[in-house]
Amino acid sequence: MRKFTLLIVILLFTGLQVAFAQQKTITGKVTSKDDGTTLPGVTVVVKGTTIGTVTDINGKYTILVPPKYDVIVFSFVGMKSQEVKVTASSTIDIVMESDIMNIEGVVVTALGIPREKKSLGYSTQEVKGDQVSVVKTDNFINALSGKVSGVQIKKTTNMGGSTNVLLRGSKSLTGENQTLFVVDGVPVNNSNFNTSSQSQGGIGYDFGNMASDINPDDIESINVLKGAAATALYGSRAAGGVIMITTKKGGASGTGGVEVKKKGIGITINSGVTMGFVDKSTFPKYQKEYGAGYGDYWTETDFDGDGVPEIWSNVIDDASYGPAFDPDLLVYQWNAVDPESPYYFTQTPWVAAENGPITFFEKPLTFTNSVSLENSSNKGSYRLSYTNYTQKGLMPNSKLNKDNVLLNGAWNVSDKLTVSGSANYTSTRALGRNSTGYSDNLVTSFRQWMETNVDIQQQREMYELTGRNITWNYADPTDPQPIYWDNYYWTRYQNYENDNRNRFLGYMAVDYKVLKWLSLFGRFSADTYNELQEERRAVGSIATPFGIGTGSDGSLGRAEQKSGYLRRDITFSEYNFDLMGNVNKDFGQNWNLKGIVGLNVRRTNYNRLISATNGGLAVPGLYSLQNSVGPLPLSKELASKVGVNGIYASASLGYKSIIYLDGTIRRDHSSTLPIEHSVYYYPSVATSFVFSNLIPENKVLSYGKIRVNYAMVGNSASFDQLTDNYNIVTPMNAPITSVAGTKKNSDLLPEKTRSFETGLEMFFFGRRIGFDVAYYNSNTSNQILPLAVSTSTGYTYKIINAGQIENKGVELSLMATPVKGKKFQWNITLNWAKNWNKVLSLAEGVENLQLGSYQGGITVNARVGQPYGVICGTDYVTVNGNPVGESDSARCINPANGRYYKTATSDNVLGNVNPDWTGGILNSLTYGNWNFSFLIDVSKGGEIFSLDMYYGLATGLYEETAGLNDLGNPVRDPIVWVDPADHSLGYASNSGGVINEGVNPDGSENVTRINAGAYGAFGYVRNPDKAFVYDATFVKLREVSLSYNLPTKWFQKSFITGLALSAVASNPWIIYKKLPYADPESGLGAGNLQGYSVGSLPATRDFSFNVKLTF
Amino acid sequence: MKKILALLLVLLIFTACNKLEDLNQNIKDPADVTGESLFTGAQKNLVDQVTGTNVNLNIYRLIMQYWTEVTYVDESNYDLVTRSIPDNHWDILYRDVLKDFDESAKIIGETTYGGDPSPKVKSNKLAIIEIMSVYTWSVLVETFGDIPYSEALDIEIPSPKYDDGLTIYKNLLERLNTAITNLDPTWGSFGDADNIYQGDVAQWLKFANSLKLKMGLVLADADPGLAQSTVMSASSNVLLSNADNARFIYLSSAPNQNPVYEDLVASGRHDFVPTSNFIDFMNTLTDPRRPFYFTLAPDTNTYIGGPNGVVSSYGDYSHVADAMQEPTFEALIMDYAEVEFLLAEAAERGWGSGAETHYNNGITASIEYWGGTSADVTTYLANPAVAYATAGTTWQEKIGNQMWIAMYNRGFEAWTYWRKYDFPVLVAPDDALSDVPVRFTYPIAEQTLNGNSYSAASAAIGGDDVATKLFWDKY
Repeated sequence: MRKFTLLIVILLFTGLQVAFAQQKTITGKVTSKDDGTTLPGVTVVVKGTTIGTVTDINGKYTILVPPKYDVIVFSFVGMKSQEVKVTASSTIDIVMESDIMNIEGVVVTALGIPREKKSLGYSTQEVKGDQVSVVKTDNFINALSGKVSGVQIKKTTNMGGSTNVLLRGSKSLTGENQTLFVVDGVPVNNSNFNTSSQSQGGIGYDFGNMASDINPDDIESINVLKGAAATALYGSRAAGGVIMITTKKGGASGTGGVEVKKKGIGITINSGVTMGFVDKSTFPKYQKEYGAGYGDYWTETDFDGDGVPEIWSNVIDDASYGPAFDPDLLVYQWNAVDPESPYYFTQTPWVAAENGPITFFEKPLTFTNSVSLENSSNKGSYRLSYTNYTQKGLMPNSKLNKDNVLLNGAWNVSDKLTVSGSANYTSTRALGRNSTGYSDNLVTSFRQWMETNVDIQQQREMYELTGRNITWNYADPTDPQPIYWDNYYWTRYQNYENDNRNRFLGYMAVDYKVLKWLSLFGRFSADTYNELQEERRAVGSIATPFGIGTGSDGSLGRAEQKSGYLRRDITFSEYNFDLMGNVNKDFGQNWNLKGIVGLNVRRTNYNRLISATNGGLAVPGLYSLQNSVGPLPLSKELASKVGVNGIYASASLGYKSIIYLDGTIRRDHSSTLPIEHSVYYYPSVATSFVFSNLIPENKVLSYGKIRVNYAMVGNSASFDQLTDNYNIVTPMNAPITSVAGTKKNSDLLPEKTRSFETGLEMFFFGRRIGFDVAYYNSNTSNQILPLAVSTSTGYTYKIINAGQIENKGVELSLMATPVKGKKFQWNITLNWAKNWNKVLSLAEGVENLQLGSYQGGITVNARVGQPYGVICGTDYVTVNGNPVGESDSARCINPANGRYYKTATSDNVLGNVNPDWTGGILNSLTYGNWNFSFLIDVSKGGEIFSLDMYYGLATGLYEETAGLNDLGNPVRDPIVWVDPADHSLGYASNSGGVINEGVNPDGSENVTRINAGAYGAFGYVRNPDKAFVYDATFVKLREVSLSYNLPTKWFQKSFITGLALSAVASNPWIIYKKLPYADPESGLGAGNLQGYSVGSLPATRDFSFNVKLTF
Repeated sequence: MKKILALLLVLLIFTACNKLEDLNQNIKDPADVTGESLFTGAQKNLVDQVTGTNVNLNIYRLIMQYWTEVTYVDESNYDLVTRSIPDNHWDILYRDVLKDFDESAKIIGETTYGGDPSPKVKSNKLAIIEIMSVYTWSVLVETFGDIPYSEALDIEIPSPKYDDGLTIYKNLLERLNTAITNLDPTWGSFGDADNIYQGDVAQWLKFANSLKLKMGLVLADADPGLAQSTVMSASSNVLLSNADNARFIYLSSAPNQNPVYEDLVASGRHDFVPTSNFIDFMNTLTDPRRPFYFTLAPDTNTYIGGPNGVVSSYGDYSHVADAMQEPTFEALIMDYAEVEFLLAEAAERGWGSGAETHYNNGITASIEYWGGTSADVTTYLANPAVAYATAGTTWQEKIGNQMWIAMYNRGFEAWTYWRKYDFPVLVAPDDALSDVPVRFTYPIAEQTLNGNSYSAASAAIGGDDVATKLFWDKY
């Protein structure tokens, strides 16, 4: 070792001495080939050294070239890099050509290793940081939608909600299917803390996914590694692909990590404001003809005690099947109950509310401000940034704040030794997230259970006036306690949740160049956070399941409580230690070998403590555990520890930049598998053939590459799947325990995903047009899954190794530059992907795996021979009594009452949650300093069940439940026969009711009217689940942006170096959708359970304005 | 550099020395528990399930038209599917009750108790677990018909076959006989871990015989021979007074409160009112139990029930009596009145004597249990519409009607007896999805999780429908 150090020192000194001996100064100017203007900010580096600079405002540079070095590299974002040999002349002027495709660029691959894209035998797709930071959202992942082929992004409308990211389909039956996020080579935890109740449509909040902590303003670029070969080195967690994020570093950006010299500190200030407006096509349209009631009656109550009952509106009924509105009719309504109300015991006209539920929503307003400092020299570089994000949400009393500080730095200790580090601190604070799902969600009231005569603004006035829970939904006018729904403003201002998370993410790394072709790299990284979630229910609210129930997260089977406080304390940490040896050696002129040998040690800890009050709060308004009325229930504690030790090797052999061959192998030792199976190996091979390099340069084909790869990836179990434990339950006179509902398995084997991919990339006509097409096929077997079993076994689930899913797909990216002039340029990028997903097998003798079950008797399942995620429920029946299914057979109707027959069984396939295909078209038009771009995002096919329609049609809220029938009479009018005793004479001309489309059991057309005059006719009561399954297709104008870079000459004499303005519209228009009154993307949250729409917030159209100033 | 390398080496050694698999341990939940604690939990889960009135779990009071929903009338109209009620009933009884009894028996069987208790204590415990298990199984068979039995409670068989209901029932009787033989009242058993009889083995013996009596009579039409021998061997050592009732006393704080309190009071909801069908029936008889069953209708001096299965106004009708809404209100899973009515039936079938006496004893026990006086009893029994000689044309009608009244807070059992006696005459509401169910459809989950066995069972019982009569429900 000592000798080794000595060697380094000697090498260092000799290097320095030589450098002092003779060096040459080169000056020059860089211009653009497109328009002849000079290019400031171009990176100029002496090849083989870290000596570099950037061009100044006039495109000029000066650089010192040490002896023995004779090549200068010029590089600039969006331009083709050039290498120029130093000749006798001391002036080198360069004309740079634009390279919009960046096809030969350097991309960051697994483990953070930069590779030339042409050498890769697998599919990757890059997105620049400014493409995801242009729209200021709380979750940068949303901005990827439509921009990468094969990536399915599903964002919810929840404030700070989670976004589901799926790459090339679902591979795991019940495990993680989402993509792994890696920032600067460090895996970033992307858990979501939504409870099991929340994910199945029960009470809960969508706490978002943790990757949303990544600050979009710090992102330099995102590279999506799609296939298993690309990600094999990450092992198990990357089976769903990897999204590699490179953060901005000090110095000129886009140089692939080359440090350059630039005078002074660069400062960037970015400021934006976003305003949202409800997209009305994603919110109900209410009927305006009938008010409160489950039928056409009034509530008669003697309110004043004079012995004579008055006529009251049906305040107890959260439905709108009541009496028809009549402005001349005066009745006592909800606002007449409370003595403090201005309308106390006052009759008001019986009319539809002037201010409907849509007036409840506020205009979301978001401010994003960031400042960054950066500097670099040949000694090193740093970048420090601070970003503040402040959002006021769509709902009253909701806000989301984030503060993010990132420090990146690198120091060249010597020309062989570089140390670098990163520290990222994020603080996220949310207040008043919207409740999701069926219960305890006021949007569910808006969409399913309410009275069209209730004026929302009067609800607000009443709350503001009294500060009390003046509801519209009393048990009875004479028993004025809220019965099913609280005053909406009371709910928002009293029963709100809040959560905050402090997160630290960082690494330290050492890179040591042992030899010219060999370097050693070591890195220690940490991702740690703690999170507190608090839920509260004020004294005076209606009762709702609250506190701690059964199940490991206590969210199911909770008792009804009228007030309370609950807190969840979560701490998480993941530590990774990586040690890598890198080889990069040329053999002769034609051969190059890149090799890596490395090891990875990973430790993950996750701790959660859930505590809550029991039986209500003793002192109103005090939210603490010690304020519990009853003895505290047992807390729920979880302590999970997972470790993986991995050893891996990879080699890439290149021949003449024409053909490349890659191979990798990894050995994992996992803590979560039984000791005899805890070590497993998996390999990958990939090849890339740049055939265009074999044919002479020509005007038609600019670039052509074929790639093929095959990979196997192993996956281990999650924590604690091997041995059984019992549950402890609150004692009753004696201790109580129970057998856990899931039977563990001590014989688990690792899961295996085998995948094959082939692709072709071609560019033509000087790269004006090109495409990248991929076909892949993956098969995941031996899956570790909790198999839902008949509970007659005594268990709900059994952990098993079984099941196979196949995913096959095609991905296509098309890139074209239809117009390319001196000042004007038009680029089009089209992404399209289709994935065929099929469950090949489950456990032996098992044909169906239930993934989730929902209100409405709906289940989402993995079923053999079907795509993953089929929606099952009751169906219409044909005249033969079979389910109608996807056939176009007529639906059979009961001639006695005109109602549809439903299947008795609920296991009929009604649809599946996977889209047939997804795609996006991005158009970008540049004129001088102006840029205009727009993105259309399409998701075709797939189905979604709407619980809102299931109930909302039954309760008579929607337009479909009122209006006129085929005879021109109100549909809700009673059915009138010409002769009630002889139905063969048919209906009278003044009859109400509607005729369902279908046939009688004898095959004749149905002519029987259903009575539509009372609760249920149109909704779930009389119709099978199938009636509420909708096509989930959507076409959205996702993004429109206009930006303008002020000409630099305007502020040449000031300290300002750049000023850019942009205006962006995000989700401005849903061009096409089939799901009524809601956004088909708006699910409950991220995860494997999709295809269910209930009580979601309306979508918003967001408009923002940003200013970016650099100096 | 050297230091860094040294540090890395230390780190490596440190991680290498730790056995990685040791991380994978649940350090928060027990790997071993006592059988007694499992018994206590299973017993509570069973009583909760047959007692509660949560519309997702237990709708027997609605089926039997004691109560009706006022606003959301789906379950009063026999919608079992929307809220997956058969699934929940099945899940709780198999997974949360029978599995825990089973595990409890296994652990107690393997436990060597320290100190000096007789092995009799252990065998008493095992016999009591067996009796409670038989009770639970009988509820399942009486609800669904054929069910998984011989292959049930075995995780190695994830899709167990369904056994013939009658075969199961006979086997249950054999198990019950063995358990009765094994009970030794001279020794103790569970003590405080038993929230029904506090471990009193003599009481358990009466309970077991009463259960045997009941089960024997359930088989009266399906297998009269077996029914007769069962009934006759059981009927001498049954519950002898209300003091022998199998009562479960709830506590005042959650989660050990009476589930009826949670559903009616803690929930803050106004979902249920007693039906006019039931109240009118009791009004006609001037039944002295009314003040203990209902409140007076608001602003009136009478008991008024709501229309069954129809949307109506909660404020207009009588409500469930206040005492029944107390968190500590006791639940019953077997009572003396029930036993007396069963003895009356046995007498009518010729397997005993004194039908009228037993009938009168049953009515007396019920009225006294609810708080009525002996004067109430005398007056009531004198009513020709109550008196055994004149109350109806058949014994089924007489016993069935009085059983209906007496079993007011025992929805599930009331449903069983209604199916046996076919009295009272219950008419489904106009909007009902079916006639009054005579069984539950199998859980939706069984269709998907245990499809083949489900289909075979459906075919075997004559179709998975609420109208399919079960093997013991011949008439």
